[in-house]
Amino acid sequence: MTNPSLIAAAGEVGKGFFHERTSESLPCQAKPDEVFCFDWARHHIDRFGTPTLQHIELVVFSVLLGFIVAFALALLAHRRGWLRPPLLAVTGVLYTIPSLAFFFLLLPITGLGRDTAIIVLAAYTLQIIYRNTMLGLANVPDSVKDAARGMGLTERQLLWRVELPLATPEIIAGLRIATVSTVAIATLAVFIGAGGLGTQIYGSGNLTFPTSVIIAGGIGILLAFALDGVLLLAQRLTTPWRRVRPA
Amino acid sequence: MPSEEATERGSSSGASAVRYAGATKRYPGSAKPAVDELTLEVPAGEICVLVGPSGCGKTTAMRMVNRMVEPSGGDILIGERSVRERSPAQLRREIGYVIQQIGLFPHRTIAQNIGAVPQLLGWKKERTAARATELLALVGLDPDLAERYPAQLSGGQQQRVGVARALAADPLVMLMDEPFGAIDPINRERLQNEFLRLQAEIGKTVLFVTHDIDEAIKMGDRIAIMREGGKVAQYATPAELLMDPADEFVEDFVGADRALKRLALMRVADIDLWEAPLAHVGQATAEVRAKLAGAEVPYPLLVDSDRRPLGWLSERDLAGEQVPARPDSPLGPLLDRDDVMRDALADMLQGGAQYAAVADRQGRIHGVLSVEIISEFLVSPKAKTEERAATERPRD
Repeated sequence: MTNPSLIAAAGEVGKGFFHERTSESLPCQAKPDEVFCFDWARHHIDRFGTPTLQHIELVVFSVLLGFIVAFALALLAHRRGWLRPPLLAVTGVLYTIPSLAFFFLLLPITGLGRDTAIIVLAAYTLQIIYRNTMLGLANVPDSVKDAARGMGLTERQLLWRVELPLATPEIIAGLRIATVSTVAIATLAVFIGAGGLGTQIYGSGNLTFPTSVIIAGGIGILLAFALDGVLLLAQRLTTPWRRVRPA
Repeated sequence: MPSEEATERGSSSGASAVRYAGATKRYPGSAKPAVDELTLEVPAGEICVLVGPSGCGKTTAMRMVNRMVEPSGGDILIGERSVRERSPAQLRREIGYVIQQIGLFPHRTIAQNIGAVPQLLGWKKERTAARATELLALVGLDPDLAERYPAQLSGGQQQRVGVARALAADPLVMLMDEPFGAIDPINRERLQNEFLRLQAEIGKTVLFVTHDIDEAIKMGDRIAIMREGGKVAQYATPAELLMDPADEFVEDFVGADRALKRLALMRVADIDLWEAPLAHVGQATAEVRAKLAGAEVPYPLLVDSDRRPLGWLSERDLAGEQVPARPDSPLGPLLDRDDVMRDALADMLQGGAQYAAVADRQGRIHGVLSVEIISEFLVSPKAKTEERAATERPRD
């Protein structure tokens, strides 16, 4: 079954980056067995600036959007137990869609560019954030909830003052996994014309010239570590009671 | 009727009577009610223990007071007001709540935990903080603990915080669900004693759930023994319960050793002691021998000039002309008039003593307690007839 619009879309997707690096003089290409060309890296490091910023933007907005949606779904499911299995199934199904296919599916609706990429990337974070939020809420000891209700906290106060603070470690753990994996998946955003580090990885000629791939990949790894570190710090700051020495 | 006085006293000390008026809890899908038309009055300022085997509905009965379990029939009044008059959240803020698993908020400091209800009631920060400090002292905890987290405290300390938290907003009623059940025996005993001391000071109306009859006898001003199906088998003071169990169920539940348990309810001062033949240093032995003749205690007790007991004199001590300064036998256990009988007996058994001197608050000799007195008390005619009656009387 051939869908002409999809083929056209694929053409669109490919446009703009496969021919990006054309007839530059690449001294290292003369020595094909050299894996990393320092010379080239020194002269072209500034070409990674914009893709890196784009990449950060993609990751931050996707995780943020994913968090808002997943968190809202989790609160809903926490309140109404019957929603839990269907929501888990829906977020699970989203997670299994191959990312390129997902881009093409959205293409007719949201077109090329950053928004489509963010929607797809956010969809992938739902499952992890939703599950971890539910896990965190489920881990709140019954005795604590019983005492809280018995002292006269309303259900809303119980949620915001007791359950969510206690679920914070699991929620942030979910955000960390989601963030790190989004840093990786966001390299595919290039296929929907959303830029990012993918532009420096899937460019033409990179199979015989891996220097650019190594630099972009390295930036990606550093980015993953940095964002993970920020979240870890946030978790430590928001959960001081977890660091005390027990009696 | 003492309950009226108690209500008056209660209103001034911030405690209210609790009255169950046919309170019933029926769970959907279960044939028998968990609590069946419970009618019971707990006078203000008293500890009422709900005790019974598991599944008897005692916890359900207690949790209906703060509507953690919604009554399906009848009513419960706190003071004159039905628990249904307020929203559950509002009602619960006026009722102290202590549970076995304590349930402190792990993410809040001790001071914040104690201040939880005041915070809900909108107290000012300074007032809440001052109250937390005051309560830490009241339950015997170091005020330095205020800024710690619950995980940094021992189980016993945590339960003290649990009690302090329940008392924070000066509730009218306290509900305590097996509060000391998860604590080791030594600390449990200590916490029980501390709570009784505290209660003497604060005089709250307390509903206390336990499955342990000994704890019930120790803690309760009144005890409601419940049986399966959520019915009260007997509601009485501990002494009445031990003297006169209403039926076989209560008798079984109280245990075959109920005569011994009565010792836990009595103090040495409550029993007729023997008079000791007293001897002073330097007194003529003939005089002492004369005193011995008609005495219940066969040995003279040497006392100092303030009548403080020093030791027992033996035949050998009386061989001379005068009473020697050093008695042959040591004094052995010296009891206090306020000692609980059970502890007094334990002291005597431990010391291998047949007789023990009992002193008053100033340490002066008050009388002599003997193992014979105790055994007579245990098999006293009253107790005897009762036990016979309990086995022979046909059930009606």
